[in-house]
Amino acid sequence: MTTLSTLTKARCRWLAKLGSRQKRYGYVLVAPAVLVLLLLTVYPSLYMLFVSFYDWAIVATIPRRFVGLGQYLWMVRDPDFRGAILVTVIFVMGVVLVEMVGGFILAMLLFTDSRGIRRLRFAFLIPTIIAPVVVGLTWRWMLSADLGVINYLIGLLGISKIGWLAKPLPALLSVMLVDIWQWTPFTMFIMLAGLESLPVEFFEAAYVDGASPWQVVRYIILPMLIPVIIIALMFRTLDAFKTFDIIYIVTRGGPAHATNVLSYNVWRKGFFENNLGYAAALSVVMIILATVMTQVYIRVLTRVRRTT
Amino acid sequence: MYKRKTSISTKLVMRYILVVVVLALFLFPIYWLFVTSLKNRVNAFSMPPHWIFIPTLENYVHVLLKTNFLSLARNSLVAVLTNVAISMSVGSAAAYGISRFKVGQRNLLFWFLSIRMIPPIVASIPLFLIAARLRLIDTVVILPILYLVLNVPFVIWMMKSFIDEIPEEIEESAIVEGCSHLGVLWRIVLPLVAPGLVATAVFCFIFAWNEFLFAMLFTGASTMTLPVGISSFIGQEETLWGYITAAASLAAIPPVIFAWIFQRYLVRGLTFGALK
Repeated sequence: MTTLSTLTKARCRWLAKLGSRQKRYGYVLVAPAVLVLLLLTVYPSLYMLFVSFYDWAIVATIPRRFVGLGQYLWMVRDPDFRGAILVTVIFVMGVVLVEMVGGFILAMLLFTDSRGIRRLRFAFLIPTIIAPVVVGLTWRWMLSADLGVINYLIGLLGISKIGWLAKPLPALLSVMLVDIWQWTPFTMFIMLAGLESLPVEFFEAAYVDGASPWQVVRYIILPMLIPVIIIALMFRTLDAFKTFDIIYIVTRGGPAHATNVLSYNVWRKGFFENNLGYAAALSVVMIILATVMTQVYIRVLTRVRRTT
Repeated sequence: MYKRKTSISTKLVMRYILVVVVLALFLFPIYWLFVTSLKNRVNAFSMPPHWIFIPTLENYVHVLLKTNFLSLARNSLVAVLTNVAISMSVGSAAAYGISRFKVGQRNLLFWFLSIRMIPPIVASIPLFLIAARLRLIDTVVILPILYLVLNVPFVIWMMKSFIDEIPEEIEESAIVEGCSHLGVLWRIVLPLVAPGLVATAVFCFIFAWNEFLFAMLFTGASTMTLPVGISSFIGQEETLWGYITAAASLAAIPPVIFAWIFQRYLVRGLTFGALK
């Protein structure tokens, strides 16, 4: 009894001190990380805003010219930018939709007590874990028109050769397929984790009450998975939005700008066409879009978590 | 009763078959990458493809001995390990501060998350200009610094999720017993989060090892990392597929092995510590 009360007293004293000295200790711990990230993100962002008001070439000897909002005004009329928006919207919406639905179906398939199937889970994740460069090279090799194994395999089905990376629509579909291949295991894993955190009694009770499997999925599993689904959606939307590596390796934004997503467009304008001012303006727009999307997802997520 | 049991087991067999078929489809590209790397030039380019052939290691021998693969791998290792060391110390300290002293509340955490969500190409434009002015391009320090943007927010979120799992009372009673703050951190918190620390470091390693965009823009001949080096093979003649697939297979090995060892933490690592 006595030890307990002395402990509680000591704890009270400890907690009382927490206000002043403790908090300072906490700030010291957090400061380096905040400082590093301020230096590496906030300062460059402000600098980028500054650059976006100029005509600015990579080569330092070419004089910089202040153009005010000129870069932004050009953006509105720039056909490359419009095309990039369209391609990005198609790309992001397409891959995210397929990855979410496919990930859910795969998760349901792998959601079982069977130890053998559980052991196979990891193998699904290999595409997600290896470098995008490796993924891109693998698919570029397989999609090659004359030597690619994909044209050979569809040839067995009686379909004639397709120049996957030579024509606009097949090229866009190809890079989308690569993204879907790489990231569906990711959504699958997230949804599996969600499924396994659900109480089993719910499904069993529903089955006993005579619900069909479809009804269990529709009215019990899906509503309970919503927080997890939103997390998967957030990561996939924003990561698809920043896709660069796969495009760079597989198609270089071509043919005829068919796979020129926003990230690749920024790279091309800045580092290939040597127009950093315009690339900076494009980047400002991308940062705004990414931040707005992140904020929306965070809002939705906190609201959903509060209600469930 | 008996009948029900058989129907369950046939269901399981059906599920097994389905899983294996889907898995085979998923892994076919990996298989194709690896198989191509084991073929000699004639086999690799034969159409229809040779499914049965005599495997050869000549591509690997060539890549390891006659290309700059080993120096690329060394560059990657130097950049990645330096970065992981700094990211882990800076990030874990911040995670502890946020978890225990409630510094900055939610806003600070969501700021870190939003850094994770910003497209890297966007950050690279101003960083490139700054790095060029500081003459840091193609130096050994630039990638470890840039990868802090990638890994510090990740370490903070991951380590916060691990530290949150330790009951605070343990630390409180240690302080009451007369242990110093640093002592608590060193003797009590550190051993308890050790598995989390290792798992987080491994994920940082994988992310930085796989990174391509920063590495492409900020390195030159002397500091080029593996992903950039391998991708540059493709600029040459299309006939190098044997070498490319061999180099790519080698580059893919560390992430796969690490992820396999730490698969228990994969969901957490892939979701920024949000899901366990």
